[in-house]
Amino acid sequence: MHFVCCIKQVPDTAEVKIDPQTNTLIRSGVASISNPFDMVALEAALRLKEQYGGKVTAISMGPPQAEQVLREALSLGADETILLSDRPFAGADTLATSYTLVKAIERLNRHLPVDLVLCGKQAIDGDTGQTGPNIATRLGYTQLTYVVAIQWIDENKRQIQVCRKVEGGIEVIRGPLPALVTAELELAKPRRASLPLLIRSLRSEVKVWRAEDIQADPQKLGLKGSPTWVKKIFSPPVREGGPKFYAHEDLQGAVEKSLEALLADKKFASQLLSHWEA
Amino acid sequence: MPRNTKGLEVAEIIPDSCIGCQICLSECPVGAIRLSAEGVAVIDPEACVGCGKCSDVCPVEAVRFEKKRRQKVTQERKKDFTEGLVGYQGVAVFIEVLNGRGAPVSWELIGKGRELAAKRKARVIGLLLGYQMKEIAEEAIAYGCEEVQVIDNPLLQSYLSQTYGEALADLCRRIKPEILLLGATPLGRDLSGSVATHLNTGLTADCTALDIDEEKGYLLMTRPTFGGNIMATIYCQVHRPQMSTVRPKIMKASAKDSNPKGDIHFQPWNPPAGEMAKIIDFLKETPQAGSVDIGQAPALVVAGKGACDPASMPLLQELADLIGGVVACSRPVVESGLMPYERQVGQTGKTVAPKLYIGVGISGAVQHLVGMQGSEKILAINSDPQAPIFRVADVGLVGNYLQVVPALVASLKKKLGSV
Repeated sequence: MHFVCCIKQVPDTAEVKIDPQTNTLIRSGVASISNPFDMVALEAALRLKEQYGGKVTAISMGPPQAEQVLREALSLGADETILLSDRPFAGADTLATSYTLVKAIERLNRHLPVDLVLCGKQAIDGDTGQTGPNIATRLGYTQLTYVVAIQWIDENKRQIQVCRKVEGGIEVIRGPLPALVTAELELAKPRRASLPLLIRSLRSEVKVWRAEDIQADPQKLGLKGSPTWVKKIFSPPVREGGPKFYAHEDLQGAVEKSLEALLADKKFASQLLSHWEA
Repeated sequence: MPRNTKGLEVAEIIPDSCIGCQICLSECPVGAIRLSAEGVAVIDPEACVGCGKCSDVCPVEAVRFEKKRRQKVTQERKKDFTEGLVGYQGVAVFIEVLNGRGAPVSWELIGKGRELAAKRKARVIGLLLGYQMKEIAEEAIAYGCEEVQVIDNPLLQSYLSQTYGEALADLCRRIKPEILLLGATPLGRDLSGSVATHLNTGLTADCTALDIDEEKGYLLMTRPTFGGNIMATIYCQVHRPQMSTVRPKIMKASAKDSNPKGDIHFQPWNPPAGEMAKIIDFLKETPQAGSVDIGQAPALVVAGKGACDPASMPLLQELADLIGGVVACSRPVVESGLMPYERQVGQTGKTVAPKLYIGVGISGAVQHLVGMQGSEKILAINSDPQAPIFRVADVGLVGNYLQVVPALVASLKKKLGSV
């Protein structure tokens, strides 16, 4: 079977800030990591390969340095990796991103038919969760989002059965292959790289595909192909820290004073003391 | 400064400085700026009217323009950006059905939809998919829809991405709404991505604020991004409908009208051909012993790495009981195996906004903070006065939690006894 896993390189969002002078993102010096949800998807793909046999191809779209996430995928056991990197790809929103990924998946599919595409349920920088459904819709694959377990795949009958997290419970759903799965964190716990694979990952080649390699329509790529644009970015209103009380000097006093400060708001105090019934 | 053939002095982009942020594109009143294949802005000198607005908004000073030469833009020079979008009208709200009833988020969206529709002088249209939906359609009208368009079909009895995606896209092609709003629920998020792809239009997920651009009339969609560290306002200029999903409980539902007026239209539908997915089973979330939804609790006692000790759990539980809440934790506590994942607050756990959050031994990594900053009141207990959690806490208690928490419990008991 052929499993294709889409991985995004994301800034470690904990470190991203806005430059108050220019109102632009400060990205320099911010570490890049593999999107954690995508690594869960990759782990699921690797386990499926171990169970059913086949091949895991990892793809990523991004600047040349996004090669890093694909080397990581190799070190965990991915068989082949493709980096989609070209200037026209830049500035893509989810619609243009999914178009680019789909063109690449179509090329992979011509070479070796794709059975299952796996993505994280969302990326931690954008948090949109749209790329998965976009890809499934474009390819006409069975769309299976928010998956917490892949129960089985029947290669002969071309069926897959998964458990999806939906409002109020878990849905067990069966559908035809090829399909697309987006991974919840519970789907699998990513493994650590083994030493031989780590060494292999450093020696292996990460293939780079450009716009012409995937026969992409330039009008649908990157900024040009993106219907949504950013009007402005700004910092969210920040909370201000309140008073601090030090317990090592006077434990009882500090506790009393902090409770007093907390309950200064009468309405809040009466709610708390009535266990939120008021 | 360069001049065009009309002799006007025009603005010019410095390609090496341009970061391709597109802000000038939206600001240009005559649409003279395009993006090149290299991803940088290019100004058409013949179209440029020399108003200098691009230079005003450029965040990186990539526009060469002399401000004193500024030309005034006259009204007739302005190009109507929406001219290619004739025929799209009205604010559509997808009415989500949950357990046979209208989902609360849909009523909230109708409330917001009315506000937007008033600004656009347009109607609010409910879009409803399902089987035997008449009652819910009537309810949507009571909540403020001026019309409801329904596809009523046994195939739509339960939600499937494929059938719902195609049906809603079909409905949009027919009704041509200018705006389409959906709840950012698991179903809404699954559906919106599919519909936007069918319609080849822009979609902004998880919005927390919506407004209409007064000048140009398009929808301004504001959402948190980068794990809540940054807010971005997004718009969709030349594709319709402008699609947005909105988080539940952010907008306010309007009151139900006891004597509502509105039309219900049932639309025909050709179901897609081919093999469909089948729902085999639904396992209802049954609250097991000890299982809680920390997102719903009014108060939380949250254990951090600094309080990650099985021996202190009863103490934290006692505090939680006293404040009418439950115990939650940060990621390291889950990783240690002390508490289950469902209790994790933060970026990879749950986003919570209780009335009272008490952090015990929480240092306040940003990944944690983004998941709890919406709490009404925050009390932080930590032995390190420099811990970042104190920067967001309304009240800070610096000290060893093993001493502080029992004192707090005793003091709270006294207060509760006096009520």
